[in-house]
Amino acid sequence: MRPRTVLRIARWETTKGVGGLDRGAVAVVLAAAAFVVAFGVVGLVGGVALEDGIYRVGVDEDSPFHDPVAADDALAAVDPSPAVVDEGLRPGEGYDLYVESGPEETRLYLVRRDGEPTDKSLAALAAFRESVEAYNERRMRSEANEIAAFPVVVTVEFVERGTVGGSDDGGGGTGGDGGGGEGGGGDGRDDDGSLPSTGGGDGGRFGAPSIGAFDLFGTAGTSGSPSAIAPPFPFQSLVLAFLFVLPLNFVIQAYGSSMLSERLDRRGELLLVAPVSPAEIVAGKTLPYAAASLAIAATVVAGLWLLGAGAGPLSVLAVVPLSLLFLASTFLGAMFARSFKELTFVSVTVSTALTTYAFVPAIFTATSPVAFVSPLTVAVRDLTGAGVTPGQFLFATGPPTLVAGGCFLFGLGVYREEDLFTQRPVHLKALDALAGRIRRPRSLALVVALLVPFVFVAELVAVALLFALPVALSIPLVLATVAVIEELAKALPVYAGFVNGFLAEKLSLLVQVVGLPDVAVADAAFQTGLGSDSPAAVAVLALAPLLLHVATATVSALGASRDRTAFAASLALATLLHLAYNLAVVSRLV
Amino acid sequence: MSRRAIARRELDALTREKTIVLAILIQVVIAGFSSVLVVGLTSMYDPDASGGTVEAAVTGEAADDVVAAAGEVENLRARRFEDRATARDAYDRGRVDAVVHAEEQDGRVAVSASVPRASLRKTVIVVQLRAALTELERAERADRADHLVFDPLPVPPRSDASPYFGFSYVLVVPLLVFLPVFISGAVVVDSLTEEIERGTLELLRVAPVSLAGIVEGKAGLLAALAPLQVLLWIVLLALNDIAVDNVALLVALTAAMAVLAVAAAAALALALPVRQRAQLTYSLGMLTAFAAAAALPEHPATTVALLAIGSATRVTLAHVAGYVVAAVLAAVAVRRYVARISPERYG
Repeated sequence: MRPRTVLRIARWETTKGVGGLDRGAVAVVLAAAAFVVAFGVVGLVGGVALEDGIYRVGVDEDSPFHDPVAADDALAAVDPSPAVVDEGLRPGEGYDLYVESGPEETRLYLVRRDGEPTDKSLAALAAFRESVEAYNERRMRSEANEIAAFPVVVTVEFVERGTVGGSDDGGGGTGGDGGGGEGGGGDGRDDDGSLPSTGGGDGGRFGAPSIGAFDLFGTAGTSGSPSAIAPPFPFQSLVLAFLFVLPLNFVIQAYGSSMLSERLDRRGELLLVAPVSPAEIVAGKTLPYAAASLAIAATVVAGLWLLGAGAGPLSVLAVVPLSLLFLASTFLGAMFARSFKELTFVSVTVSTALTTYAFVPAIFTATSPVAFVSPLTVAVRDLTGAGVTPGQFLFATGPPTLVAGGCFLFGLGVYREEDLFTQRPVHLKALDALAGRIRRPRSLALVVALLVPFVFVAELVAVALLFALPVALSIPLVLATVAVIEELAKALPVYAGFVNGFLAEKLSLLVQVVGLPDVAVADAAFQTGLGSDSPAAVAVLALAPLLLHVATATVSALGASRDRTAFAASLALATLLHLAYNLAVVSRLV
Repeated sequence: MSRRAIARRELDALTREKTIVLAILIQVVIAGFSSVLVVGLTSMYDPDASGGTVEAAVTGEAADDVVAAAGEVENLRARRFEDRATARDAYDRGRVDAVVHAEEQDGRVAVSASVPRASLRKTVIVVQLRAALTELERAERADRADHLVFDPLPVPPRSDASPYFGFSYVLVVPLLVFLPVFISGAVVVDSLTEEIERGTLELLRVAPVSLAGIVEGKAGLLAALAPLQVLLWIVLLALNDIAVDNVALLVALTAAMAVLAVAAAAALALALPVRQRAQLTYSLGMLTAFAAAAALPEHPATTVALLAIGSATRVTLAHVAGYVVAAVLAAVAVRRYVARISPERYG
């Protein structure tokens, strides 16, 4: 690959169709500016109260309960008409809850249908209870006698089990730059008996969390009055996910359009016949978009840094694999799609899947090491000053980078005249992309090795999605998913090979090569997610999985050599075999 | 060749590429994703869902008060321990989930709680402890009532309401209404820019149909698909025991929104006949409009939520009427704009 050629193609890509500034570019810039302004303003105002007035509470203006109801977004205060509660409150009267306050006692009426309170009425009662509690809390803050108003001061600290010596947190895994004070693990020891912090109390139901509140992250201890104690719940990862991932969606939209439009009217042919390699073309065309996503990530991080987060280059570095993954899968999608419509759906699928991948594991940043499945976790930890070890960084960013590389390689496999300008259905093109890498029996092993990062990431995501379930349910589910993913990954290239009539023999030899990385993958998945396999057991079991993989791959390969139905049947058989093996091994071990 | 033929052709293309199936799948995934997320996260707070009763060891001079307060909280069992060392020992052995030390200090009760760091249950442990300590605070406040100006309002009883009730209406239903609308517009942009970029618009023009007819056929089909999808979602939600109120109004609202979206999309695609530019402007513009709608008295998502949950007010109905009027106006305006365009422009 020649850098100068790549740069020249990159320059063409950025200046394409821009004779000065065309109307389209101006429209995009205007829309982007309006977007930033609109979201900035809405963000500053404090978001949109989506649940505005979903529960209607009948309460008199003079009632002491009117103020709490009026102050709560979710509740709408409705003028009461006493007649409706004479024989209990029925549906369709315009109330979900009715407060009748007399001088002596207050009566609450729930809406009843056939004698049972309705779900909505119960939910309204729960919301009402919360708003009364919040109201009491607010009134207490204005009391002169602080000791009487807040008679209880709580300090919560997170302590490792089994460590000696009181309140110090023992071996937190935050070795990296442990000097980072605030957000670090468990150092909420400052029981200065200070008053409840009033800042943090505004996290309502579904309310937008404030981005500035980086101290609420949950790994640090909290102290204050009981109601100010925030359970460890990293809302921020949600906000961060959107800040980092949302702009990527626009970048891939532009990138996908550009790549696909090369394929319309044989426009890309000119570059293909020029003395440049397909790899240089793709690299050059991708470069501007990769640079744009890097710039956006850097801007977001700089913005967060200005807001007071402990952000640094590490956050940007953590987002790079993610943006590469977005670009790579969009590239693959643009190579496969037959029309713009199809591309739209492919890119929506890509962004949904990748957002899930980035976001779901990061939820558990504060609670579980499984969070490191997602590179976003590195960014979250960096932003809170918690730090990561080099091993954690590699674990989080390595697999997605490899997957991105794999996607680009497979896409390059179809970056040739006969695939670019023809209309083959997506799944046939996908098989082409796999087959494009298979020229000799030996290269089959290479393709499966290329698929290993995909398998790794898919299994990690499965573990991250399923690990929160009860163990009795999660282990079989994880094992089943692992079996399906691994068998598919092994069988697909074989199928692609057969479909293209390339491969006939020496199969078992190849599969032995293939089996080795797969075993490592499976064990890694188990160790992260379940933590039950001891290294010794893994070593003892190293041989058995090899046999299993040989057996199952042979089964599915036999099917693949016949036809599609036979392939599906033999694949299912292989998967079942694999699952049975997994279950047997794990039930023996655990 | 009529508008209907154009629409049928468009529908054929969508089914052949299986994009409709993919679109519905994507929506299922997104709705499922957000549900799993909220249900999963809420269950982290829910003692029933995350491993049952929380055991706490309580020490210190105010321990009895804490134990009494904890008695008011379900799924929390507090036991008195003689000294901190035994409590700590039980904690290290995993026999209790938390250690709470409470003592009197400067007229206050100072409580320090230790919670396991590496535990998925830590959220639920903190939530349960907080509930107990709030009870304690209430009792201590009552003891000091003479020093307080404001007499706290009695707190209504706990209800066993499903914590997901509001979420279904506030998040899932609006999501399922606006996603089809957004996707319909995006497909109109794709469909028109593709005909223009590929040069097939010219071929279509050989057929006895005007440019306006082509645009109407394509846009009309996609505007009709959105409310159909919403109806499908409503049926599916009803099967899952999420009853949706005001179905007719919701469908009307979706139809109006879809007409607005496809009208904007068609105008954009004709004004900027390059997919990359038109699609980016469309999606940025739609999101801007969604954010800017916060300036309305009632955000469209709130309108949907209020209709679906059955708490619609007169303001809500006025908004729906407003969207219908706006949709009609937009459709007429785009029609006029298309009629003025000379098709040779795209040749």
